[in-house]
Amino acid sequence: MNNNLNLNFLGIDLNNPLLTASGCFGYGLEYKDYFNPNELGAVVLKGITLEPRNGNKGIRIAETPSGMLNCVGLENPGINEFKKLLPSIKKEISIPLVANINGSVLDDYVQLAKKIELIKEIDIVELNISCPNVKDGGMAFGSNPKMARHVTHEVRKVLSKPLIVKLSPNVTNIVEISKIVEEEGADAIALINTLLGISIDIKSKKPLLGNVMGGLSGPAIKPIALRMIYQVSQQVSIPILGMGGISSTNDAIEFFMAGATCISLGSSLFSNPTLPLEIKQGLEKYLNDNGIDCISSLIGLAHPDNGVSYRERIKL
Amino acid sequence: MFLEDVIVLENINISNNYFLLKVLTKKLCTNAKAGQFFMIKSNDNSRILRRPISLHNIDGNILEFYYEALGSGTYEISNLRPNDVINIHGSLGNGFSTTPINKNIVVIGGGIGIAPMKYLIKSLLPNNNITFIAGASDSHSIKIVERFNFPNVHNIITTLDGSTGITGNVIDALNPILEKNNIDLIYTCGPFKMMEAVARLSHKHNILCEISLEERMACGIKACVGCSIITKNGMKKVCYDGPVFNSLDIIEENIGGTNE
Repeated sequence: MNNNLNLNFLGIDLNNPLLTASGCFGYGLEYKDYFNPNELGAVVLKGITLEPRNGNKGIRIAETPSGMLNCVGLENPGINEFKKLLPSIKKEISIPLVANINGSVLDDYVQLAKKIELIKEIDIVELNISCPNVKDGGMAFGSNPKMARHVTHEVRKVLSKPLIVKLSPNVTNIVEISKIVEEEGADAIALINTLLGISIDIKSKKPLLGNVMGGLSGPAIKPIALRMIYQVSQQVSIPILGMGGISSTNDAIEFFMAGATCISLGSSLFSNPTLPLEIKQGLEKYLNDNGIDCISSLIGLAHPDNGVSYRERIKL
Repeated sequence: MFLEDVIVLENINISNNYFLLKVLTKKLCTNAKAGQFFMIKSNDNSRILRRPISLHNIDGNILEFYYEALGSGTYEISNLRPNDVINIHGSLGNGFSTTPINKNIVVIGGGIGIAPMKYLIKSLLPNNNITFIAGASDSHSIKIVERFNFPNVHNIITTLDGSTGITGNVIDALNPILEKNNIDLIYTCGPFKMMEAVARLSHKHNILCEISLEERMACGIKACVGCSIITKNGMKKVCYDGPVFNSLDIIEENIGGTNE
């Protein structure tokens, strides 16, 4: 097997640009009966908070046309229990681990970032300012430019590990917020989190989901994700971790061409647990068939200048 | 690996919206246990989630699923025809305890909750004394039981409208049994309110009761956390820690809402 999927992301050499979307891959070992997680480039773990959270009550999942809504609400065991899981995760996963951190108020993020900074098993931090399913914080940080600036600034101060900021698509101007988090020291941007939606149960005449609103994911949101990655990558000088409805090799190629350096697989894993292997093989075949040496030469190809300036800006 | 393309052998309309799907498998039948479930993939890619369907019976290399066509996903499954190929994922979940020996057992299925009970009875029958109570609203919803041809099982049917069997619900049938007999174990699956009533009665008589819960799930392997519920032992995933729970572990007020 040749190595044309290798790339450097945030100073770390990855076997390939395939990651997992936080919240869709548990804590890394849930899919190990279906494929070896080390086949991925890196694993993004389920979001954590300082304290344990039970998540939202009632129905948390609803299928929608070519997509799904979820309102899990960041159920997680909290940072202390999370730390206890890490040795067993590291026993089986040797590729980089990304911790996804969440908070209700600014200080939650800062305290959590301080704790994560000290955990040697964590290689990269994804700052989630875009969770639509929590009452306080979450998306509020990612949809308000001032708050996005503030939280990125404060987390950056206490964190030396590479920092990805995961942004919400539920905004008017995604480029503006992307530039702000770049200015405040983000090493990369993750685009996109889920889109806010609701589903109504016509029998009960009430919203179906326990938390009324949920985050829409799946192929339904792919064009929106591509559009935002396309816009943002032409305006920033840091790499983008692209995600949003990727369910095939062709989808993955579109994301690279729009400007993503790495991609995350999310809700498509639920019905197709071996999707990462399929896409990995598909990408290798695509590169070989087209005589392309390196996956990173696809980045931004759809830009008006074929991605030349963006690849230069992100030093590829 | 627990993913397989299986061939549809039959998809019988038992009554109204109730169907019995039989598929031929190469390997999925070998480890499957009563009370476990499979995730069935739609051939329509616009439906991105698999549907969790409980195992109804295993007959050699044939897996049987008894299901109700309730939404668009199960409606599509009801349109499968012989020789169609579908991808299924399983078996998943913990399943019922099938190791008891020499026990007096009552198995109670309500409505579509009758589904997992056929293979459960089959698994328990060689070593135990079994009473099976099947309850439903009317005779249509209970027609599947005609296909339960077990010798030595005491069968009781209840319907709310009295169109078949005893007029009433499963509790009306269970009460006198518990008064007169020494029952060691109760297994139940059905509407949550029914299971709640069965569990309360079991607790009153100090009988161990296993209940099988239902939740919406996306992955079936505890990755999406869509099916989490609060139990007396903390948050548990119905797909992985369940779907079968000891009735004492379930905090009633927190799961009633989604199962009615």
